[in-house]
Amino acid sequence: MKYRARWGLAAASALLLVLAACGGGGGGGSSGSTPTPPAPTNPPVTKAEAFRFLNQASFGATEASANQLIALGDNTNSYSRWIDAEIAKPASLLNPAVEAAYPNPVPAGFNIAALNATRLEKWFENVLRGNDQLRQRVAFALSEILVVSQVGALQNLPFATADFHDLLARGAFGNYRDLMRDVTLHPAMGIYLSMLGNQKAVAGTNLRPDENYARELMQLFSVGLVELNLDGTVKRDAGGNPVPTYNQEIIEGFARVFTGWKWDCPSTVTTCTFANTRVQGAPVAGYNQVKPMRFYAEQHETGTKRVLSYTGAALANATIPSGQSGDKDLADALDNIFNHPNVGPFVAKQLIQKLVTSNPSAAYVQRVAERFNNDGSGVRGNLAAVVRAVLLDTEARAAPGGNAAATAGKIKEPLLRLTQFWRAYDGKSNGTGGVVKYGAGVNFAGGVSAVFGQGQGQSPSVFNFFSPFYAPPGEIADQALVAPEMQLATEFLNTQVTNFFWTQALNRTQLQSGATNFNVDLMWITTTDELGLVADSEALVNRVAEKLLGGASQMSATLKSETKAQIERTTIPATNPQTAQATRVADAIYFIATSPEFVLQR
Amino acid sequence: MNRNRRKFLRAAAAGGVAYAFGRTPGTVYAQTVGTGGFADYKALVCLFLFGGNDSWNMVVPTSTAEYNAYSASRGGGTASSLAIPQASLLPINPLTPDPSGATYGLHPSMGGVRDLFQAGKAAVVANVGPLIRPTTKTQYQQAATTGHELPPQLFSHNDQQDQWHSLRGKAILKSGWGGRVADVLNAQVGNQQLSLNVSLAGQTYFQAGDVARPYVMGATGATTFQGFATTGTGLARRNAFQAVVNASRGSNVNTVYERSFATVQQRAVQFADTVNTAIAGSRNFTALPDSGVTLSPLQQQLRTVAKLIAARASLSMSRQVFFVSTGGFDQHDDLVADQPGLLGNVSTSIKSFYDALGEIGIDGNVTLFTHSDFGRTLTSNGDGSDHAWGGVQFVVGGAVRGQRIYGQYPVLSLGSAQDVGGGRFIPTTSADQYAATLASWFGVQDADLVKVAPSIGNFATRNLGFLA
Repeated sequence: MKYRARWGLAAASALLLVLAACGGGGGGGSSGSTPTPPAPTNPPVTKAEAFRFLNQASFGATEASANQLIALGDNTNSYSRWIDAEIAKPASLLNPAVEAAYPNPVPAGFNIAALNATRLEKWFENVLRGNDQLRQRVAFALSEILVVSQVGALQNLPFATADFHDLLARGAFGNYRDLMRDVTLHPAMGIYLSMLGNQKAVAGTNLRPDENYARELMQLFSVGLVELNLDGTVKRDAGGNPVPTYNQEIIEGFARVFTGWKWDCPSTVTTCTFANTRVQGAPVAGYNQVKPMRFYAEQHETGTKRVLSYTGAALANATIPSGQSGDKDLADALDNIFNHPNVGPFVAKQLIQKLVTSNPSAAYVQRVAERFNNDGSGVRGNLAAVVRAVLLDTEARAAPGGNAAATAGKIKEPLLRLTQFWRAYDGKSNGTGGVVKYGAGVNFAGGVSAVFGQGQGQSPSVFNFFSPFYAPPGEIADQALVAPEMQLATEFLNTQVTNFFWTQALNRTQLQSGATNFNVDLMWITTTDELGLVADSEALVNRVAEKLLGGASQMSATLKSETKAQIERTTIPATNPQTAQATRVADAIYFIATSPEFVLQR
Repeated sequence: MNRNRRKFLRAAAAGGVAYAFGRTPGTVYAQTVGTGGFADYKALVCLFLFGGNDSWNMVVPTSTAEYNAYSASRGGGTASSLAIPQASLLPINPLTPDPSGATYGLHPSMGGVRDLFQAGKAAVVANVGPLIRPTTKTQYQQAATTGHELPPQLFSHNDQQDQWHSLRGKAILKSGWGGRVADVLNAQVGNQQLSLNVSLAGQTYFQAGDVARPYVMGATGATTFQGFATTGTGLARRNAFQAVVNASRGSNVNTVYERSFATVQQRAVQFADTVNTAIAGSRNFTALPDSGVTLSPLQQQLRTVAKLIAARASLSMSRQVFFVSTGGFDQHDDLVADQPGLLGNVSTSIKSFYDALGEIGIDGNVTLFTHSDFGRTLTSNGDGSDHAWGGVQFVVGGAVRGQRIYGQYPVLSLGSAQDVGGGRFIPTTSADQYAATLASWFGVQDADLVKVAPSIGNFATRNLGFLA
């Protein structure tokens, strides 16, 4: 039985096609036609449409952010205008807050553990309260592709980890080629994938360059394992087999390119050489954790290097010549990778999957990949144009219909459920000295990643919290679809996340209704509206659906009826009604915030 | 300060990645009640060492010629040496000495496993790894032109993890071999109250069946739902929650994502109390105590496994496959410095788990075995090693025909008959043979082994003989 109309019928698909055809009004339209100025009769973006867009483009739609979007114009120009404004906003950063807590480079001998928590607090503040929402959301998506993590080698390098994320935030709308260079030379990546300190082979010994960064740069950050068509599908050879993008010889070639790079000269060393700067072992006094790595010629492989071979590759015989400088070798190598035809579809598909839908059509991937290859002005790798193409595509904007409706959208990863919830309910703590402690242990036993299975900068490996290829058993795997975020949806983690929302919905509402003696770092939500509706279960459940789902009509009949019935099971006594009132509000919020309907990013 | 540089930590703690299920939408989960059934109890415990364990330093030649070959390949005597000093290795005495006269020792941090080996409760499987068919160096080098079948994307973490998990070769498989064991035994375990496959370390492809679904709990058990109760408003809340979840599994209206998510939620509600009641009523092991001793995350997982095994009767379990893991083995750096901590934890954890099982007399019914992404290069990149292929695995338990080395431990010379470059060794025993041996002991019929290990027919030996 059809129980809901997910999309306002006003979302006239014809208008959306116009929107897609003109490239959304920005990024240098690729077609020759000049878009006609929209007629004043175009309807505004509906609230449900605004929620869908803002859940793709921000850390969670709120009624306020939806209203702001709607007010920008009509449904042919609001999205584009919103994106234009977002792209112009400077990045909210992490590392300045970490460096405000402790100096970088560090003085000798100190305890650094608390500074990773400082980074996490700042990240929560930025994504919950910051106004550069699109930039933060894209930076977060990039951080799940170009992965470093405080878990492991970077655990004692909090400035490096924070600054790496800032690099992604600053570069979110820049060029992917620039990002590749900045990522490659950032000491966080240098240490995480062991390019920092990578040295040349020594004749007569079995010492040879480290292959770690060479391999993962290609597999995870740029071209992937197998050759792709422009639409992201896998190329097949005559025998029907996938075609590997590179082989061991090419990995060894790039490994040789990435030799000779190490910490920049520390203040404690007068004559800097590869040998007298430490490999890692940080934190070490005098070492600036955020300065790009420095090149030391004495440990660079000077011979020829085999690199990627493809049609149009600039280097003769897919070989970097011998005797070049380290900078030139690096530039040639990154150009060689960046210009591989896989990069467009590889980056396009992953960004679509992280922002919009797990299973985009091949045509959608191709449209975005084409924009990666040429932003309309002949520039390759323009991420602003790519993000615009991802979000303004007809497949991202039009109401999914027919068979596509069952596979449109994606699962919200746990952190994005949390941020949307806190944004919708103005989550905050009273905090010592007014400092809100989003990630405090009192809110997450064992830390946010212990409860949610993820936390910013806390991936268990360079393979991210979940794989873009993950297919849960059952109909998704059977249909050769994927649901990457389902990799974090175990019975165990689902239960913990579900309980977190119960605690937020119940305890924190109780706190508001009178209690004052509680931990100042406890996060609580603002439920004034709901507490005013406790006598009317229909109005109460509708209000919550307005805030979390973008409209009462977005809620299924079962979710509504079960939630209402549960609300009504708590009787409100005439005297001391606070606890009962809080329970009614808690049930309304809990049922909707934990429902599969909220977990779905539509 | 923790010196462990865990670039490839996977999943030991609650945050671990896991593998979900998705039942056919609209059906209520229920295992079919079997008729065959097992009279005895057996469990397999897969211990996955994430990142690619440098196992040439885990079991090392001690005889002079073989040690010298090993040491030379690992840069012994240079600043970038990865070799373990000969005198520090823990000697082992296999019941059947190597005909070549080679002798072996374990990494100096692995006293626990050495003791189990010497007591006949542990065995070494040497140079094992993913293969589709037996492969010579010439066949490997000419594969591009001859079409000789090799596992795709050798030396890549996730692809080779997937090979160990699934034994898929070049095929596209939805299931792992643990999951397929559950599939073929389904009719005989129908009265079990819990999935045959249980993970304590997140989703794993290893346990995904074509039909059977694993259950994922935390290192110390399941989490119960707050706000639920067995009476009153709490019970009503639970029922209403389930009603919402079940409605979301309907096939006609929702997205595949909601249906998949709701299926997990449904199982979470269904099993949490059952599991926790079983664990709470289980035993406090001396070897893996509930309090008083700090246990590593791996030991915590294994303690919970031991508790579930002790509580097997209350859950009507006769066959179980558990998945546990520990990470940090992707040692491109600091290999020599970090191996003692990593391998020491593996050894201590395995020994304490074996001892705990001994406390309840079930050690002969439980077999623990290791998997890892791949072996690593013999050659050094300065202070670590890179991704390779064949390596060494341990099998531990009272049913193991222990104190033996199975397969062929190669002479670790660069350029040797199995070295495809840099000290990357072609396996001489396949992961399919390894899995088939374990599955056969577990109760999979010979005719069904090909379902578990699809390439087993390409190998002359279907059973490596390490289990009685």
